[in-house]
Amino acid sequence: MAPSGLKAVVGEKILNGVIKSVKKDGEWKVTVLIVDHMGMRILSSCCKMSDILAMGVTIVEDINKRRERICSLEAIYLIAPVQKSVRALINDFKDVGFTYKAAHIFFTEPCPDGLFTEIGRSRVAKVAKTLKEINIAFLPCESQVFSLDDPTSLYSFYSSKPNEEKDKMIENLAEQIATVCDTLKEYPAVRYRKGPEENARLADEVYRRLTAHKADNPSMGEGPDKARTQLLIVDRGFDPISPILHELTFQAMAYDLLDIKQDIYMYQTTGIGDSKEREVLLNEDDDLWVQLRHMHIADANIKDLSQMLKKMPQYQKDLSMYSTHLHLAEACMKKFKASLDKLCEVEQDLVMGATPDGEPLKDAMKSIVPVLLNNELEPYDKIRIILLYIFHKKKGITEENLAKLIQHANIQADSNIITNLENLGCNIIAGGSNAGKTLPERKERTGSTYDLSRWTPIIKDVMENVIDDKLDKRQWPFISDPAPINTTQTAVSARFGHWHKNKSPPEYRTGPRLIIFVIGGVAHSEMRSAYEVTQATDGKWEVLIGSSHILTPTSFLNDLKSLDQVPNPDC
Amino acid sequence: MLERLQTISEDHEDEESEFNGPEHDVDKVTLSQQAVIFENSSAIDEVLKEAQFIRKEISLLQLEVERMCMQNERFGTSVRRLTLLKKDCDSIAKGVQQRAEVLYVRLQDLGKMSNQLEEKESPNSAVSRIARTQYDTLTLAFHAVMSDYSKAEEKQKNTCRRRIQRQASIMGTDITDEQLDVLVDKGGEGWTELSQSLQPQAARTCRLAFCEIKNRHKELVELEARLKEVHELFLQMAVLVEEQGSILNNIEVHMHRTQEHVDQINDHIKKAIQYKKKNPFLQCCPCLPSAVSKAYKKYVSSNSLN
Repeated sequence: MAPSGLKAVVGEKILNGVIKSVKKDGEWKVTVLIVDHMGMRILSSCCKMSDILAMGVTIVEDINKRRERICSLEAIYLIAPVQKSVRALINDFKDVGFTYKAAHIFFTEPCPDGLFTEIGRSRVAKVAKTLKEINIAFLPCESQVFSLDDPTSLYSFYSSKPNEEKDKMIENLAEQIATVCDTLKEYPAVRYRKGPEENARLADEVYRRLTAHKADNPSMGEGPDKARTQLLIVDRGFDPISPILHELTFQAMAYDLLDIKQDIYMYQTTGIGDSKEREVLLNEDDDLWVQLRHMHIADANIKDLSQMLKKMPQYQKDLSMYSTHLHLAEACMKKFKASLDKLCEVEQDLVMGATPDGEPLKDAMKSIVPVLLNNELEPYDKIRIILLYIFHKKKGITEENLAKLIQHANIQADSNIITNLENLGCNIIAGGSNAGKTLPERKERTGSTYDLSRWTPIIKDVMENVIDDKLDKRQWPFISDPAPINTTQTAVSARFGHWHKNKSPPEYRTGPRLIIFVIGGVAHSEMRSAYEVTQATDGKWEVLIGSSHILTPTSFLNDLKSLDQVPNPDC
Repeated sequence: MLERLQTISEDHEDEESEFNGPEHDVDKVTLSQQAVIFENSSAIDEVLKEAQFIRKEISLLQLEVERMCMQNERFGTSVRRLTLLKKDCDSIAKGVQQRAEVLYVRLQDLGKMSNQLEEKESPNSAVSRIARTQYDTLTLAFHAVMSDYSKAEEKQKNTCRRRIQRQASIMGTDITDEQLDVLVDKGGEGWTELSQSLQPQAARTCRLAFCEIKNRHKELVELEARLKEVHELFLQMAVLVEEQGSILNNIEVHMHRTQEHVDQINDHIKKAIQYKKKNPFLQCCPCLPSAVSKAYKKYVSSNSLN
């Protein structure tokens, strides 16, 4: 099943707009593809080796590594317009012997004038057959999730240390977000959450960049209903609970409890060969993963089909996918049963403020003390409980009480994680700098099947409000006046108006989109909310969510830990 | 996308007069460079030609498999001209198998070529990497086509089995799955057994059904035989694909495994420097014209290239 959404759009743009475009129709041309770090990440997230090889690429090289001369082939460069990559490009054609026959250059975003002039002055200008800006400066992680691939973003925005580069950083971020809209051919109304100053600044800059893109690309935002598309800028401090809570849906649980780096899951297997270590990529090419990832672990029932595998090797690919997910689910459940089931009960009561029966939580302290004293729990699990307790208290807690909790839990070494949350605007110490700030009122929700999964990310309320046009304009102001919303439904005939649906490119999707950018990282449960809300509208709206990077509870706590420290210059 | 090529060429024309190429030592660079270009581009061409041929064959195979699927559909839903349709299905299937076997051999040859290149050059040289990448992705593609073929044949097999069971029940005898397995395994003998069990009951009135079952049984036996052959092929390939899997198709993983190109020229330069130190002309007569010592260097470096 071909992926749809962001990955399909970006994949199509790269395969056709970049790789295929360097040759004429019907011509078979072989090329070398050269990428820098950003180019490689973008390419890898939406194309496979077999896709690009089928288009004539024979080899993919890293621009920053020393490379062999291949003078018989033309080179395609997919790079960010930054000094390091541009210099490396110029270097390839500096000496008398060119490294490649010709150059086709594709920049991920607009190239600054200075670098552009440098290229113009070099010999690259002589051998360049193509020079384009493709305006894709983000990673399409999933069909409705994007990332800007910058895990240092939380630090850049919220660290206690002064940051001279902050303005430049916000400009770069804004440009990247604008390329998301450009790629989707959307020209959204920009809104931000009123409160932290960074939200307004970023929103402002994004609006400026969007306008610049629209000038070069007037078709952005054209189409029926597109005027209703909105882009929301929201800060991480708006919902600090979702990235900390233990989630029991498959994807969130796996990334929280198991060591999955770069979406690669490693495990021991007994397959057709002997027992060996297998590496599996968890992404949308795996249909089973797409089906299972948002399901509750109790519902994800995966049969043990390993016996069948031995009898029918032609089904090996399908069955080894089953095997992977079986291992994944078993590993999650093992960790859960070991120490987490009690913990999750306490967590859910804290965040909902009530027991599963609906009884308001009377003595939160009593429920958390046994957890804090439990020496079998990891320090980070204890910190998560303490934080959830503090958020439950709404007005924060006294320094005295905090010190007591830290002592009970024996987590002095990591205690700054808790206080650093104040940098995000969260109310930790009662009467402190964030006094008066509270988490927003929640919608009433019924029908959660599982007692241990009652929490809904706050952003889901926001998504639903935008779609129903109920989002408060004072708390979520617009940067510019939005186009008037046509609330009357025009009658659409079922027979007409659908002819284009089978033939149009993937980004041309009728109906408005809601694009949300979270400053500081997005949690898996929030990603899941985007899909759930989209489905609830029956496809009328498409909700996309993204951030500088995707969080796991551990990575979030690590990011928080570093907020009051000087950055490591080696990173 | 924003096109900016024109601006660059205009800029360049303005700047061209200012450009000055750097000085370089023609002896050291050009000589070995020419040798490398010649070698690597013809080896690369050979690999690419072969890969392109295999890629085309795989697409054609895919088309044949699709044709077979469509034909099977027609066979599955028709009630007339079944023998003719079945003949078509069979011939396409046999064609696919023959093509696949030839292609598999060629693919293995590409694999051998890739291994030889890795030994001769280094596994990091461009031509080895090109060969390895082409071989890996073509293997995955071939495996995918064969999976489709195998699934189609399985489907056909199941249709056939159900037909036999239906016809038999029309005639009053029910055949279970396990009984059918046994009858098929026995091949021609199985048919004799089956026909004997059916004959006493209304063979005259259900003659059509009787013929039907006979034909379907024969067909099933042939299908099973074909599937067994594919099964063998798969066992060999499946291990390969299981080991590599989708990870190798991932571009980021692929790139992390590639190391820096260590110029073979470096080794020669090191040797040249050593020889320069030991250059008898320079040692005894430092004021000798540089042409002589350059000639010596050239002699030495051309020898070390061989």
